[in-house]
Order: sequence, then C-alpha cells, then structure tokens
Amino acid sequence: MSKIWTKNGFQSENEWGYLSEGAEYLSVEDAKGSSEGSLAVRVEPADDVNNLSDKLESIAIIAVNFPAFADGRAFSHAALLRDRFGFKGEIRAFGQVLLDQVPLMLRCGIDSFEVSDEATIKHLDAGHIPGIEHHYQPSMNEPAKANSYSWRYMANSG
Amino acid sequence: MYRYDEFDHAFVKERVAQFRDQVERRVSGDITEDAFKPLRLMNGLYLQLHAYMLRIAVPYGTMSPVQMRKLAHIARTYDRGYGHFTTRQNIQFNWPKLSDIPDILEELASVEMHAIQTSGNCIRNVTTDQFAGAAADEIADPRPYAEILRQWSSVHPEFSFLPRKFKIAVTGAPHDRAAIQVHDIGLQLVKNEDDEIGFKVYIGGGQGRTPMIAKKVRDFLPEEDLLTYVTAIMRVYNLNGRRDNKYKARIKILVHETGLEELKAQIEAEWQHLKDTDLKLPDADIDAITKYFEKPNLADRAEGWAQLAQWKKADAAFSGWIQQNVGPHQHPDYGTVTISLKPIGGVPGDATDAQMDLIADLAEEFGNHEIRVTHEQNLVFPHVALADLEPLYRVLAANGLATGNAGLVTDIIACPGLDYCALANARSIPVAQEISNRFGDAERQKTIGELKIKISGCINACGHHHVGHIGILGVEKKGTELYQITLGGSADENTSVGQIMGPGFEPEAITDAIEKVIDTYLELRSSDDETFIETYRRLGMKPFKTALYGEKTAA
Amino acid sequence: MSKVLTANKLIDGNSVWLNAQGEWIETIADAFIARHDEAVAALEETGKKAVSDNLVVDVAVIDVKETEQGIWPIRLRERIRSHGPSVAYGYEALVQEQTQAA
Repeated sequence: MSKIWTKNGFQSENEWGYLSEGAEYLSVEDAKGSSEGSLAVRVEPADDVNNLSDKLESIAIIAVNFPAFADGRAFSHAALLRDRFGFKGEIRAFGQVLLDQVPLMLRCGIDSFEVSDEATIKHLDAGHIPGIEHHYQPSMNEPAKANSYSWRYMANSG
Repeated sequence: MYRYDEFDHAFVKERVAQFRDQVERRVSGDITEDAFKPLRLMNGLYLQLHAYMLRIAVPYGTMSPVQMRKLAHIARTYDRGYGHFTTRQNIQFNWPKLSDIPDILEELASVEMHAIQTSGNCIRNVTTDQFAGAAADEIADPRPYAEILRQWSSVHPEFSFLPRKFKIAVTGAPHDRAAIQVHDIGLQLVKNEDDEIGFKVYIGGGQGRTPMIAKKVRDFLPEEDLLTYVTAIMRVYNLNGRRDNKYKARIKILVHETGLEELKAQIEAEWQHLKDTDLKLPDADIDAITKYFEKPNLADRAEGWAQLAQWKKADAAFSGWIQQNVGPHQHPDYGTVTISLKPIGGVPGDATDAQMDLIADLAEEFGNHEIRVTHEQNLVFPHVALADLEPLYRVLAANGLATGNAGLVTDIIACPGLDYCALANARSIPVAQEISNRFGDAERQKTIGELKIKISGCINACGHHHVGHIGILGVEKKGTELYQITLGGSADENTSVGQIMGPGFEPEAITDAIEKVIDTYLELRSSDDETFIETYRRLGMKPFKTALYGEKTAA
Repeated sequence: MSKVLTANKLIDGNSVWLNAQGEWIETIADAFIARHDEAVAALEETGKKAVSDNLVVDVAVIDVKETEQGIWPIRLRERIRSHGPSVAYGYEALVQEQTQAA
C-alpha cells in the first residue's frame, strides 16, 4: 500500500494517483509536445530535464524515479529543476523511497514522497526523519546561511 | 593542521547519532541488509571474510598525536591490538563488532575524526602529498584545498549515490607524490603568469579492471572556482555515468566512451550555470582555511649538520636509514622522516597499538606534533630537526620501526588480499613477506636502488599493481592462486600503466620469478645509477620476458 | 558431495557455520554436513530464514571434504574463513619479524 508523505505528514488527498499503482503521468517526450496546462510528468533516470525547461509553467507535478536505492540520478534531476529552472510546482519521489534517503531528497528540492516500505512509513509517521542539520553545501529547500564559511548552511527548521 | 570548529563538531556528532540510529534499525529488522549495505559502506563499514572491517578517514593523511593515540586505544579496546594503514592514507581495523561501531565513532568524534565516506559510491577521502607543507619542491600547500573539498563533499545531498566511488587527489609539487593521474579527479596546484594560484585539472584516471591515465581538462582553474567546477564534473558524471555495469561505472569509462572533447564541453556548459553561484569561493574563506596550515615556527637548529655527519660516519645502518627515509625540507636544518611500516618479512602497513602510542609520543617529542600517512602505507614526520634524527632513530629502531627501505624493493604496497578481503581472489600479504625476506639484506636492496613493487589480490587493484614498477596481480585459476607480473607501471608525474609479462606463476614460484626480473635488470642497467624503471623504459619488455620465459615466448 | 552452510553473524560479523542443532557456531568442526540434495535444499532454506530473521548475512552453501582431521573446505577462500588469516598479525607478527631479524 502506497502513501503520500510531505513534511506536513501523510496526505489523505492525492489528486495525481499512485505511480506504483499505474497512475498515468506524461513522459518527458509527451510533455514537450503537449499544449495543455497543469500537467503531471514523470522523469525517468535516463531523461534529460533540460527538455522540460520551457514547459515548466504548464506543469503541476514532476515525479522523479528512484528505481533502485543506489540509483542517484533523480537527486540531480530535482536539483536542476529547482535550481537551474526555478520550478515551483511539486516534485515527487517514487520508486524505492526509503527512510534514510528522505533527508537528502528534501535537500535536493523533492517535496512529496510516494512511500510503500512499511518501516519507512512507520518512522515517517512517528516524525522520525534521520537527517543532519549542519550542511556543507547549499540545498534546494531554503536552508539558512550558517554564520561561517560560504559553503555552510543550517537546515531550515520550518 | 585543520581543527574542528563548533560547526564541524556538531556535524560529526549528528552523523554519529544518525549512524547509531541506522544500526539500531538494522538490528531490529527495519532495514534489510540490501538497504543497509550502502548506508554502512558510506560510513566505512565493510563485511569481510572473518568480520566487519571499519575504515577510518585520515583526511589527506594528516594526523595529530592525540588522534594517533585514539587509534591505538580503539585497536586495543575494540579490535585485536593492531590497525592497517591503507593506500588511501586511511586506517582500517579488521575485527570490530557492528554493535560497537557507534561507540567507536563517538570516540573518534571526540578527537575530530570519523569514518564518513571512506567507502561507498560517493566522494571518498581526498588524498594528497604526504610531504605537503614541508617538501622543498612545493609550489603551494595542497592541504587547504583538500580540506575545502573534504567539507564540501561531506554528506552531499546530490552526490551520495553516484554510479561508483569517486576519488579526488591534490598535489602541490611538480614531483607528484599523490598519484593524481590515477584518480577520478586529479588537481595539481600551479601558478599563472600573474603569480595567481590555480589548478591543472585532470579527470578520468583510475586503476581497477580497466586502468586509465587521467586526461587534462583545464590548464588553469582559478582557486575561487574549485567547488563550482568540481560540482559541474560531479553533476555530469552523476547523470551520465554508466549504471548498468559496475566495472564500467567509473568516470574514466564515461570519458573514454563520450570522448574527452565532448565531455569537456558538457562540463564547461554545466559550469557556466554554476560559476557565479554561492559555491564560488571568497578569498576570505580560502585565507581562513589556509591559516590552519601555516608553516610551523621551526627554530634554527644549525648544530644538526655537523652532528648528522658524525653520526652517519659512526653507524652504517643509521646512515642507510638517513639516505632512504629522510628527505629535504623547506627549512635547511630540518628533514622529512619516513617511518617504514614495512619491516623485513612483515605485513605492509600494519602497526600495533603500542607502536601507534610510541609514534604519537615521538611526534610530540621530535616531530612538531604532526604525523602523516602515505599512500605507500608508511608514516611520516614532516618536520624533524637534523639534530634530532639520531635520538629519534634509536627509539624507532628499538621498536621495529626504523627499516631504512623507503622507495626500495622491500617497501612493498600490498592490499589485504584473501587473508581478509571478501573480494580477493588470491593472497597478497604472504607474497609481500616472501619477497621482503628474499631481498631483506640492506646491501642488496641498496644495490638494486629505487624499485616499487605493488601487489593486488584481485582486479580491483587496491594494491596499485598497475602502477608498480613491478606489479603483481593475484588471480584464481582452477581453484588455486596464480600471480601475474606486470612491468613498467608508475604513479608519479610520468604515470604509466604496467604491461603484463606473460603467463602467471604459482605461489611457490612467484618470488623466484621476481628475483629473475630484478637480476635481469641488474645485468642490463647502463650504470649503477640507472633505476629499474629507467632501464625498462630504455629496453622495453623483451629482455625481461626472454629471461623469464625463454627465447620462444619473447619473440 | 558434502556441503555445509556458512554465514557471518549480523551483530558482530563473525564467521559462523550451522550445526546439526540449527545453531550458528563459530567453528567449522561441528558444522552439519549435507550429503544429498534434500539436505542441501534444507540448508538453503535455513539460510534464507536466518537472513530474513536478521541473524546472519552473506549466507552461502560451500563445498567441503570430510577428512580424518575434520571438515576441510574445498576453496582456499573458505579455508581462510574457517581457519583465520594464513599470516600472523598484530603482536604475533611482530614477534615473528623480530625472531627472523635476530
């Protein structure tokens, strides 16, 4: 059973459906050719998010795929979408979403999570997000500048 | 050296707590082994043949006596009384329990150490020249840049799940002692015509199954662009590096398959977006980090010159040790001292807890409180007064630490091999020990001169066999160990990958084969001053092959 | 064909072998020997269960010879796992070096 989690907790509403249960999102290719608004797009690991750069106004949600725990390409996809293209909509992680990556995903600008791993659900539900507050790099979720070297930040506690 | 500030202390403390929590969830069953493995590796914890193995980071090989004593304490308390210094300038313990790891990490944190990113598919411990800040030929000290890279790469949100491990090395001298051309990124400090500091940037070097020498992508990268440029390289690699085959996943394969010019263009294009971001380094920050590495205030000790000459005359063993293990220092009254962890017949890189404690004491008494770990698995005191060499030597000698063999045939690099490692196909340590015993005679070693033998127990090449003047690779054939010999490798500024000689040798025959190669060199060298690698480069493989396999095979 | 079941314990990493009582023990000498396919299949099942119960990791069925001296793994790797490193280490190694040097 999948559930949608954001930093406000588990969501009872999920207007976009569950990717693990076959929810239909547009491919990057199809999104490029679409003239409609409020699109839901899925980005696969080998996709190039540059192809979405002039479409972002009409995209409501982008789902980035973590097909395996070790496949970290979606971290870069999310970071590029936020940092390079200034995408303001929802970025959702799906696939193998496990607890210990959630803090890093948040820092790369992912803000919603389709989770099915039971232990992950249990810990998220208990408010247990095992992250580190002190960062040696900028993040996409508005950290505060640390009063220190230019590359240091503190997690946004809000 | 660098000292943690409050931020660093808080960070490492959080990281220890995070790992403690991960271990607890693993033991309770909330995390499967498949999911835990990348998490534990990212914190330096392997599972080997007999037990877990914990690899502790020694950032760019720099350590204080207090830290060394803590390592001795860990060896004694949580392990079996010894540790193993590695080719990545780190130290690893072979017998810790999973349940003790969080406590070990807490002990390490108390002396500003950790095990972060000493394994896993992330940016690993940044390495550098063991004589940084002391070597007479240095253009600039590489350690401040290595420290900035260390901080920036720690728990990086975007680059913690790369296609494969990623190694960065920095050198500050034209004579490369950090093997930068066999790293994923190699940085060489240079000055431009305006006397400004920057980097020559190399990418795509590496050993393993497909050894490759790094390619230059930048002649001069201004220091302020260090992090933006490295970020650009990492992002291009993270998105495009192969993930379908772990033997093709390093950046060297991406360089090879994409083509250098095309990949360079991709990196430059990515960098255009990054170069003016928050990661552009302000001068003030570079200066602040550099301050930690200020040259020590070394008193003039001119009396050492005459004393040294006298001591050398009186004691041949001491004189041999000086010749091999003491190098020139920026201050004329001082030298750099290599403490060999290669006793004749010993295990390369191993040290007992008592030896570690002793080295800590000696570093305080004679070594200006500084210790370095070398990628050749020795230790270094970077600042020793010539006037202190004799008393230092006496104590080292009494404790099995004064073998005068740095750079000689018995100064062998060897991976742990099948005696410990779950990936190995053959043993490395017994081969190193037998070669060391065969050539242990001091005179014989001196006659042979500079010769780097490097042994790996599998194709992953942790023992750097590809870049050994003589490399030995252990393989498993029909259930038994077999050793292949390569000749002509080198890891300095003239990096080259060794060539395979021919069919491999059984364990009983490998030392004889190495002796034959060395005897052939001694017959062929043009003068006593021509080193093994020079002779090999002059004459090529053929005469060595003939000597080892006979005329027919060599033709 | 003789086989035994080996693994490493999750909590401390030590090499262990399964005995006839279904316990994981730290010496190979008393390991349970499977001599036919059904017994090997049972070992594999036991291994899988122990992994999912988070008792052990890296579980494997290995080939052994039954000798007068006891169980002898066929592969060198497994002999080193069961009998320890083939080289002296730590203080033992130090003593060995010093004896050789003397």
